[in-house]
This record gives sequence, C-alpha cells and structure tokens, in this order.
Amino acid sequence: MAGSLAYFLPAAKLAWDATGQVVTVPSPGPSPSPTLDTSPSPSAAAQVPGAFTVLLLGSDDDSKFSADHVLTQSMILVRVIPSTHSVTMLSIPRDLYVPFWTGGSGKIDGAYSYGQAGGAIATVQRDFGVHIDYYIWIGLLGLVKLIDAIGGVDVVTSNPVMDDFYPNDIFSQYPYDYSRVAVLPGPQHLDGLHAMQYVRSRHGDLQSDIGRSKRQQQVLLAIRLKAKQVSSADVPAIANALGGEIKTSIPLDRIVELIPLAATFENPDAINSIVMEPPLFHGGGPGGSLTPNWPAILALVRQYFP
Amino acid sequence: MIAKFFLGVGLLVLMVVVSFGTFFYLGGRHSKIALAPQKPTAATPRAQAFSLPGTLYLAQNGALYSFSVGRFHQITAEEGWTQPSLFPDGQYLLAVKRSYLFSDVYVLTRFGAVHRQLTNNTAYGRYADISDRHWSFYPRLNPSESTVFMSYDAPKYGYDVNLSVWGVPYGAAMSQGRLWTISKDYTGGDVQALPLNGGGIIYTKYSYGLDGNLTGQLWFSKNPENPRIPGTALTDPDKDCSQPSLSPDGHLLAFICTNKKQFADMYIASWNGSTLGRLYNIVGNQVVAQPTFAPDGSGIAYLAPGAAGQFQLWFLPKNAYDAPAPSPTPVLTPTPGGPYSGTLPSPTTAGPTAAPVIKPIQITTGNGFDATSPMTWSN
Repeated sequence: MAGSLAYFLPAAKLAWDATGQVVTVPSPGPSPSPTLDTSPSPSAAAQVPGAFTVLLLGSDDDSKFSADHVLTQSMILVRVIPSTHSVTMLSIPRDLYVPFWTGGSGKIDGAYSYGQAGGAIATVQRDFGVHIDYYIWIGLLGLVKLIDAIGGVDVVTSNPVMDDFYPNDIFSQYPYDYSRVAVLPGPQHLDGLHAMQYVRSRHGDLQSDIGRSKRQQQVLLAIRLKAKQVSSADVPAIANALGGEIKTSIPLDRIVELIPLAATFENPDAINSIVMEPPLFHGGGPGGSLTPNWPAILALVRQYFP
Repeated sequence: MIAKFFLGVGLLVLMVVVSFGTFFYLGGRHSKIALAPQKPTAATPRAQAFSLPGTLYLAQNGALYSFSVGRFHQITAEEGWTQPSLFPDGQYLLAVKRSYLFSDVYVLTRFGAVHRQLTNNTAYGRYADISDRHWSFYPRLNPSESTVFMSYDAPKYGYDVNLSVWGVPYGAAMSQGRLWTISKDYTGGDVQALPLNGGGIIYTKYSYGLDGNLTGQLWFSKNPENPRIPGTALTDPDKDCSQPSLSPDGHLLAFICTNKKQFADMYIASWNGSTLGRLYNIVGNQVVAQPTFAPDGSGIAYLAPGAAGQFQLWFLPKNAYDAPAPSPTPVLTPTPGGPYSGTLPSPTTAGPTAAPVIKPIQITTGNGFDATSPMTWSN
C-alpha cells in the first residue's frame, strides 16, 4: 500500500495541483449583437446523454508574458459523445474579433488574460452560445513534455513546414530571438520539440493561423492514438514530466472514467475535425483581427455543440 | 510482551518489504511507450534472421546504418546524418548532415568516412542574418554522375521560404546551380527529386487544393521549368502522393499516397518515360514511408510503424505486386509481429489465376528509423 502510494505520488501531486481547478465563470455580458440569438438551442448535437464539451486552450507561456496574462494561441472546442464514440473538434481562430465577457472587444486569444480559464470560457460560452463542461489548458513547454512523455507521436505531416522566423522563446534566454525550422513532409515520428514546431509555425503557411489550426488537430489526434498505449503504471512518469504545465477543471474521478473511454474511439470517420475558414470570417478587422460572420458561425456551431 | 515485540518487528519488516516490492513491481510494469528506440546494431533483427539482397542504407537518430546479410552496421556517428543516396556506380554515398539552423550535402565512402563537402549553407560574419543560412535536402546524382539534384531553400522572399529542386554540377558551388522547379508560394515547396535515365526528374510538388488544404503531387520535368514551360503533374492532387522510387528496370514507379487521411498507402504504377499508368494500391491500412526497390527487383523495402509505434523496416516481396493485377488489386494489409524468421518467398511466375496473397514482412521491431530519410540500396 505504502509502495503504491509512493509510486503514484507524482501522479497524485499532479492530480492535486492540476485537476479539478475551480473555475468561476463570470455572468454573461451583452451579446455580440442584439439581433443574434446565441443562447443554446435544441439541435442535433443537444441533449445526448453522457455527452460533454471541453475547451482546449494552448498558450504561449514563455518569458515574454507574465504567468497570468498569457494569450491562448490555440482554442479548440471538443464535443465528445461516448454513446456513439464520436468526437467533434472545432478550432476557433485566435484573431477572431469578439466581445469579451468583461465588456469591450478584442481578439479572442486575449480572453484568457481577463480571468484566465474562467474568462476564456465565459467569452466562448457567451459569444458562441455553447455550454462548456470542462477546460484543459496547456503551455508550450507542457506540450513538448507531454509528447516526449508518451514517447513522441506518429504524424503524416502535410507539407514541408519552413520558417526562417520561428520564435525561439522556449529554450533561449532571449525570448524575442528567432530560429529556423524545417519540418519535412510525409509520415514520420515527431518528438515534443518537432511536434511543437509543426503545430506552431505559421509564417510559411498561406493560411497562417488556419493552416496551423489544421496541424494542431492532426497532432491532437496523434496524441490520442498514442495515449491508448499508456498503462496506469506510466502515469507517474508522465505526471512527473508535466508538473505545473497543465491545468484542467476535469475532476480526478472523471479523468479515471475518461481514460479507458478514449481507447474506444476507434473509427476515424467518427472524428470530425473542423477549422473555421472564410466565409465564416473575413480579414480587415481592428488591429489585424478577423471579423466574424456571426450568423454563419452560430449556424455551424449549433450543428455540433449544444 | 516479547512475543508482541517480535510480532511488531515482523510486521514492520513485512511492511517495508511489501512497500519496496510494490514500488519496484509497479516501476517494472511501465509500458515501453517512452523508451528510446534501440540502435539497429543492438538487438534486431537477430543475426541472419532475414536477409535482403545487397546492402540497404538507412538513417536513425542522426546516424547512418548499412544493412546487409541480415546485420546492421553503424557507419557514421549520431551527428545529424540523414538521407543517404548511392552514386549510380555504387562507389560513394551522398548524404545530408543536418545542424540546428542549416544542412549540407556531403560525399561519404560506403563505410561512412567523409570524402568531401559539396555545399556550404551556413552563414559567416558578424552581421549574418539567420535567414542567410540554407537547407539542402534529398540529394541525388543523375545517372551520368554529372549533376547533383537537391531540394534547396532558394529563392526566398521574406516569410515565403520554399524548397525548390536545384541541379548543381557535381563538385561545383551552389552559385553555379540551376533552378529546376518553380515551387508554389507558401507551400514549403518541391522535394525529393528522382533523376531519370532519359534526363529529367520526377519529384513531389506541394500546392493548395481547391479545398484550401495542402497536398503533394508527383510531377515530371524533362527540363528546367520556367513559367511558360511548367512540368507535368503525374498524380491527382486529391490523392496526395509523394516519395517516388523507380524500379531497377525503370518501368515501375512506387510511391505513397495519403488520400488526405492520416494513413499513407503504397501504390505502384507503370512508367514509360513521360506518363504514369494506372495506380494500384499494394499496401493499405498502414503508414508507409520511403518505398525503395531492391536492386535485383525482388521486392520493395519501406518504413512503417510496428505494433508499438516508431518506424520499422518492412519488405514487400515482388510476388505481392507482380501478378497480373485484377481490377482493382487487393490491398495487402501488413501482419504485425516480430522479426521474420522464415525464408524469403521466391518470385514465381504468376499465371492468369489469382496469385496467393503475399503479405509484407516486418524485418525489425525495436528500432526507430528516420521516415523522412529516403533509403538507398546497392547490389
């Protein structure tokens, strides 16, 4: 018993520190437009027993930012329906110009800095008319450590990802420094560092953040595939590697239920990956932001998210 | 009293033993998920377990290895070496040495010693900008050994950094090279050129499809492209094909296509010097990389994950794809398992009736080969 406790101590500590984070979701402010109804409405996605929605948040948490004022470079809504073993992932562009729950508007990647996870959840819930059950936040270093802890991921990279101005802000003492990146195309095994380069680089992509969102979803699915090989005895080592780099509101007992569930999502056709693209928004917004086409966005969201 | 004392001590000892026992037992139950791959020379394949003809060169973790007579030999240190390619006469190897910010092409002996450096892609000087450096990848000599074809990241325009195929006279500086392909903007560019006997190259071009997604296509260019005379697309963009390899007789092309999914199937098609025949899917439901024809035509080696992930060496005997193909050819699914310990099925002359299904053979299990590194195979 004592041996078990000692063995699982890192996992227990991570569980204590990272899971079941209390999130206060602020009351909704004014809706984005008085003419739009963003309240959750009955739809094909609604009211499925056991289904739940998670907001995945990925942040640049390097030394350029103070810990409580990071941006979320990646926001992905994930709807999981255990009864049909289906998953829908919807990437929200980080530059989408939205009303914040605090009042005022800005790029949605800034919502996290107004109340951290609670602020991001409140903004997404209010603007997109969805109900979010849980969130998971991970920093850049956390992503690298997570992928390394599971032994890397196998990915079929879509094209050569070339970037002469890739931020060299994780392992450098000069956070505004640049590095060069060349992730070659095709099937390959990526360690944490190269997987991060693949999902983070955007300068060489005509679609910039949209292209990057597609790559992020690819790597998420690869992590899910690899996670199926993880046994409970691996958890302490993974927890040890991750310490402090991940936060979630999912309670520990729920995580214990969900880990075996993840292995049952076998059918790739039941995994729906959606990345918002024009005409769901158009460029030219304030400060280089993207102006949402709210009717089109809400119609899309209601197909999949209650 | 004394009995209680000994009972207490006994229980204490038992508790300590069980605690440590549990700790180490659980520690021993780790899956191998995060274990680094074994060196090919360390364990697999077992000696003489499976012999391929000739010598196959491949890369793992920045080192080059040769594989012959069922044994691996490490021919370079783990110093960023990748993408070996034999000279057509088989005397030397071209290979890429990749550093943190640039990569260069070298000529190595078949035993891994550096013979000469062909490119110099670093940038010198106090005020050298990071983007003054370059990448060279996928070097290959043409059959007459006069020109080295490679993917090289020039020209560059600010953020738009793309690889293009360049042909450089052997031994000459990059400045004497000739731009062979015109890569599409913001795609990453053109890669893995395959010089042909009759002149020209087959390579992979990346472009944006109608759905906005990036896909690979095999292209053929008889001569250096220019905007008025572009090359010819050989495959459909929706198939997302790449990594071409030509059979020893030059009449068959093997390559991979993802069909825009996170799988990569192996296809073959006939090649007449300018056009590609019908595509046949010969390995499916697997993530295939770098198909490479055996020099004696006995089959195709390729890389694909084993049961525990990481890319292993596989071999598809010729019988599997050489029979007259019914339409469509049945797709072979690999049988996962340990190293093959039987004899290599010998090629047979297939009759008009359906040939027995020959499955791919997994040759290694515990390695982690570099799937972005084409293999090269000599007699």
